[in-house]
Amino acid sequence: MTDERCGERNLESRTEGRPAGEQGPAHLEVRGLHVHYGSIHALHGVDLAVGRGEIVCVVGVNGAGKSTLMWAVSGVLPVTEGSVLLDGVPLVRSGTGRSYGPPRALPPHEIVNLGISLVPERRRLFSALTVRENLIMGSIRRTDRDGIAADLERCFSLYPVLKERLAQRAGTLSGGEQQMLAVSRALMSRPSVLLLDEPSLGLAPLVADALFDTILKIREEGVTVLLVEQNALQALSVSDRGYVLQTGEIVTSAPSGELIENPLIRKAYLGS
Amino acid sequence: MQTLVTGLSVGGIYSLMAVGYSLIFSILSFSNFAHGAVIMLGAYIGLALATRLHWGLGLVVAGSVVGAGIISVFNERVAYAALRRRRAPSLFLMISAMGCSVFLENTVYATIGSRFFAFPEFFRREVVSLWGSSLSLLDLFAFTVSVGAIFALHLFITKTKTGIAIRAGVNDMTMCSLMGVNTDRLISIVFFLAGAFAGVAGVFLGIKYLVYPTMGWVTNKAYIAAVIGGLGSLPGALAGGLILGVLETLVSTYLSSVLRDVFSFTMLIALLIWLPNGLMGRETEEKI
Ligand SMILES: Nc1ncnc2c1ncn2[C@@H]1O[C@H](COP(=O)(O)OP(=O)(O)OP(=O)(O)O)[C@@H](O)[C@H]1O
Ligand SMILES: [Mg+2]
Repeated sequence: MTDERCGERNLESRTEGRPAGEQGPAHLEVRGLHVHYGSIHALHGVDLAVGRGEIVCVVGVNGAGKSTLMWAVSGVLPVTEGSVLLDGVPLVRSGTGRSYGPPRALPPHEIVNLGISLVPERRRLFSALTVRENLIMGSIRRTDRDGIAADLERCFSLYPVLKERLAQRAGTLSGGEQQMLAVSRALMSRPSVLLLDEPSLGLAPLVADALFDTILKIREEGVTVLLVEQNALQALSVSDRGYVLQTGEIVTSAPSGELIENPLIRKAYLGS
Repeated sequence: MQTLVTGLSVGGIYSLMAVGYSLIFSILSFSNFAHGAVIMLGAYIGLALATRLHWGLGLVVAGSVVGAGIISVFNERVAYAALRRRRAPSLFLMISAMGCSVFLENTVYATIGSRFFAFPEFFRREVVSLWGSSLSLLDLFAFTVSVGAIFALHLFITKTKTGIAIRAGVNDMTMCSLMGVNTDRLISIVFFLAGAFAGVAGVFLGIKYLVYPTMGWVTNKAYIAAVIGGLGSLPGALAGGLILGVLETLVSTYLSSVLRDVFSFTMLIALLIWLPNGLMGRETEEKI
């Protein structure tokens, strides 16, 4: 990709996908992101931005590319073109000193250490480890004992049931408890950006409601949230802004309230 | 009774070999056929320290632990890391491991030669009697160290942060990296541990038998031990090694020593067919 085109994308993303009236770089920004699985072109130039302390959701049907976006932002999937920026600093750099070849992303462990933490689709807990060990894994790179202890207490106040399950193997928890643990594990790294991939998947409606409530609490503590959901109504009702992702492209973005009212969106994603 | 004691002393060494092999299997899901070559190099390192520098047994074992550990890490960096990073199928890793094994053995042939070497005598040929059966001091020492080392590894794996990260990586390597763990480094640590166990096993094998370029082939027994116990399980590797040692000694004492290996490999095939998870194997979990 040439520098000129890079510039073009800069301009594009300044004019769209930015909350009105905000100054400076977005907290998390995705610019012209392309991702391939072999010959399958899964993301075709996705642009989006999340302001500090915002909850932004991306809705889309099965196979739209939502999870692909999350894995690419986390550094697990290689990016073929485009960039991800945290506070304006690129996490994906086009090959330094090379005029060819794909851009090189930071490895996942460095991205986590910069403050982006992922709760992946289907939770991906360390099922053979205990609840306590899963939480230890969340904070494994931290050395501030007091901070870790305080964050552990915060997780217990969000999800008191975890405290009773500390010695139990994560694989034996119920679906709702597993999701609580997955969110807590991600919070234990003290992220500034939390990525949530279909947190309500497989949960009973009441359990999902409770989970979305805690997402609001997490935001109150200053964490920026990017949420991806098929369950569009619930996701839009907790978020500030929403994007609609369709076969690897962003087709619409608007404040969540507007998206909920939009008849086309209602028909396609809300089933009414 | 004598058979049991002899069997356990051989089994302890099988366990040591099986633990290293099993550790690598559990984290990368492939059979590291170069493990035997690392054991062989560990024995040569121990031999050099014992004969050239006249170090005592404790230091010889320690030197071999460090040396074989470094060789094992180096082996991974050179031969497996590139394959692993581009997510090559585990068959490729296995073939690469076979290549390493042949390469290392032949390097020893080419440089040191095919001579058989013996360790200097660390123990007087003295026997102690235990429950009415006799046991050489060496066997007693080797058994104690083997079980002790495996127990220490178990503590490390269950109690320390690094140990928890290793188990988390075994469970889900991608998620482990998403916790901020540098998985390349984690894998190097695992290879160091496996190499360290190979070093101890190499020295004990060399003292009990002899040191020669193909001595690592006995690691085939470690594969069997690991399968008996359940691939990827540490307590399983310990139990599998001891069980195999005792069974083999029974077969060679009461049937024929010629049949010993026939028996062991028949058992391997039978286990793979009827009890692929072994005694303590973890259920294979789906990995994405
Ligand atoms: N490992 C893979 N190999 C090849 N193609 C893949 C792979 N993973 C996803 N895809 C393809 O990429 C596209 C986007 O998939 P992705 O999983 O990101 O969708 P999604 O929006 O998360 O869907 P869902 O709602 O089912 O989770 C799909 O067409 C899918 O078939
Ligand atoms: Mg998905």
